Amino acid sequence: MSEKKQQVSRRQFLNYTLTGVGGFMAAGMLAPMLRMAIDPVLKESGHGDMVSVDLAVDDITTEPKKIDWKVKQVDGWYESEVSRSAFVFKDDKGEIQAFSPVCKHLGCVVNWGGSDEHPDQFFCPCHDGRYYKDGTNVPGTPPLKPLDVYEHEVKDGMLYLGDPVPREGA
Amino acid sequence: MKWEKSDVIQYIEAKEYIDSVLIPLVPYQMDNDANIEVNAFQSEWTNLLANELEKELTGRILLAPIYYYIKTADRSEELSRINAWIEEVKQQPFNHVFILTLDPAWKKHEQAFAGTLLWLSGMKSGDLKSAEMHRFIRDQVEQLSELIQSYW
Repeated sequence: MSEKKQQVSRRQFLNYTLTGVGGFMAAGMLAPMLRMAIDPVLKESGHGDMVSVDLAVDDITTEPKKIDWKVKQVDGWYESEVSRSAFVFKDDKGEIQAFSPVCKHLGCVVNWGGSDEHPDQFFCPCHDGRYYKDGTNVPGTPPLKPLDVYEHEVKDGMLYLGDPVPREGA
Repeated sequence: MKWEKSDVIQYIEAKEYIDSVLIPLVPYQMDNDANIEVNAFQSEWTNLLANELEKELTGRILLAPIYYYIKTADRSEELSRINAWIEEVKQQPFNHVFILTLDPAWKKHEQAFAGTLLWLSGMKSGDLKSAEMHRFIRDQVEQLSELIQSYW
């Protein structure tokens, strides 16, 4: 008797098979949906990555030169390509400096030597903000903070830049 | 500053520094297939120019929404509407109103504008993403930026 009871009946067998197949199909449908829903979480963010700016270290002079490059930016769900620029030069000690050209006052783009009276300073055309060559804001002009500095590293003689990092006010 | 909430909040806080407005004028017309393409292309171009200029001079310029008009419409009527925009803008302490367009038909009405007309020529077709075009537009932006600075 007991042996007979353990046998699987036709009804049970069909139940198991249908549940199994149904579950498998449901999983097959849900898995890609779930993956798609959390997709941006799975992707590595571009934050903090160093990007080659296509500039050889040997080509960097003591004169600040503006360079432009593009980075992929993930902003929540939205991925876009943003252009960035930097002033790159070697300082008195021969160390590479990379400053963000965005004025710390209201965000205009500064230029190097744009003011005739101060040819060796960064100059913001919007409200005559000025910065010394080391990026420090000139007191008495509108900006209250030095220009942001890009994280940088050198690989195989090429310059790689990361994110701009703000500095403390002078 | 763009016509966006976050930028406008910043504008309200720093009004005394932001004394210029840029209004792009973009025509469109649907009457003829060949014109549609040229119009759409020049609309993209104007948009690009305006956005790049805004990026360059963001601390002193507010980029107004684009003024669209039908190319064949009566110019004096449009002109009075544009001037009404400018009047509206001047309720805030703006000293300079710049009007940016690629449409040469505005050039002869230049004197009638209540602001400064910046007309420049663009191409009729091309690839806005190509490197040469990029350089060309960069140059235009630089020159426009210098021109605007000369009014400040």
